Amino acid sequence: MSPHAHAGVSLKPQHYAEALAAREDGLWFEVHAENYMAAGGPRLAWLEAIGDGKPLSLHGVGLSLAADEAPDAGHLAALRRLVDRYRPALVSEHLAWSRRQGVYAPDLLPFPRSRAMLERTSANVARMQDAIARPVLIENPSLYLALKGHDYDEAEFLARLCERAGCGLLVDVNNVFVSAHNLGYSAGGYLDALPAAAVGEIHLAGHSADPGLGADLLIDSHDAPVAEPVWRLYARLIERIGPRPTLIERDGAIPAFADLVGERARAESLLRREPAHA
Amino acid sequence: MREAFHDAFVAALSGDLAALAPWSEAPDLDARLSVYRNTVAKGCADALVAQFPTVAKLVGEPWLGAAAVEFARAHPPTEAALLTYGADFPAWLETFAPAADMPWLPGLAALDYLWTEAHLAADAPPLDPAALQALAPEDFARLRLVLHPAARFASFEAAIPSLWLALQAETPPAAFELGAEPEGLLFLRPALDITPIRLAPGAFALLAACRDRRSLAEAAAAALAAEPRLDLQAAFAELILGGAFAELAPLETA
Repeated sequence: MSPHAHAGVSLKPQHYAEALAAREDGLWFEVHAENYMAAGGPRLAWLEAIGDGKPLSLHGVGLSLAADEAPDAGHLAALRRLVDRYRPALVSEHLAWSRRQGVYAPDLLPFPRSRAMLERTSANVARMQDAIARPVLIENPSLYLALKGHDYDEAEFLARLCERAGCGLLVDVNNVFVSAHNLGYSAGGYLDALPAAAVGEIHLAGHSADPGLGADLLIDSHDAPVAEPVWRLYARLIERIGPRPTLIERDGAIPAFADLVGERARAESLLRREPAHA
Repeated sequence: MREAFHDAFVAALSGDLAALAPWSEAPDLDARLSVYRNTVAKGCADALVAQFPTVAKLVGEPWLGAAAVEFARAHPPTEAALLTYGADFPAWLETFAPAADMPWLPGLAALDYLWTEAHLAADAPPLDPAALQALAPEDFARLRLVLHPAARFASFEAAIPSLWLALQAETPPAAFELGAEPEGLLFLRPALDITPIRLAPGAFALLAACRDRRSLAEAAAAALAAEPRLDLQAAFAELILGGAFAELAPLETA
């Protein structure tokens, strides 16, 4: 079952029963793959029941594809088991790293987008795709720190990664907005530079100002509704590339299920809008 | 060059800002790195607060969150699936000075972690009670009961299980007195729901013998040794009907 170009929401345990009963046309659900890397139990049973009726997306947050080491073999095997069991419509991971020599930092860390790192990351994405026997989508991270040592800007790095590894893109419009704000470049220009054909999914989420540096530094906090400027960038992106499966992503301050579905209806109506140039 | 970057970033996160100098001249580098530091600390703390809800009920989330951040510094996660993070936390609490006046805290944490293990364990149908009725007398020395994959149990020198159970109530008691008598607790999840069951010494000895892969006869003897007045048949029946076992298996011969 494919989400085609409908809107979905993050699936959280407190919403399992409502998600199972939901009847919205085209609704689909995304989960963090790591939260289901268990041998058994109620979580897996809920996901199976919900996935029987609606498309699922497995979103990885910890494979550490931009590390200077290969992805963890045990993690890849666990991901393969999930893919085999749930047959998700979409599988995705991040352009970031979180693991170094056996220690895992639960975050999405930055790196210089050098030629060497393009090679390394492409090899790691290829390893991931080989392990689960299907192509994946790679998500742009939110950035908080300008680094030196880049050979490519991020849009170009992602385009080359898609060419080399045969993966697609998950475009997180909120991350684009946050990174562009924090590092001082044009979010619209970044989105315009992404290869349209590679985009297989879009994320929309909320952000907040850094408690220390204030509005100078925006944090990709996933604990608030999608901001208006992010909605405008989203409308502009799908106007250019066409409708894509779009997720309302929420990981903190989880609202009532109905509120998430309400926010999702806004994305769904933008996706269903007649294209201006058709 | 790239190896150097990943090492430098880890060093900078730990406070060695100079390590990152070849890649960043940001005047507010420390504040920007703090975003990453905070996310890492919050990720670990959130996972541990979720992992130890009974501890959180007793000491409050801010106390547990602060303890979790200290724990995570010494015991960072080693895998991305944080579902099982914190196996060492109960033992660490015993060494954590601010917890010294709460000697029951490590035990409560140990029970929370056993609950998580039961929650995430493999699924299996429980042993059919009829299987035991069909046994011949000689089978008791050559067969053993295999624990259900989700069965978890522990015993304590004080009444930690009673306290843990009382804290599961929606409005837990405002004050408590920790009973001095030893107690055990068993978590069973034959299907999807976890049932906690208090363990008397005999039932605990019986389960421990099964965990040690000893025969039915030896398990029965261990139960009676621990609790001479035990109704053995009732003890077996309660555990079997509750779903403590997955199957009967022949003893492994060494």
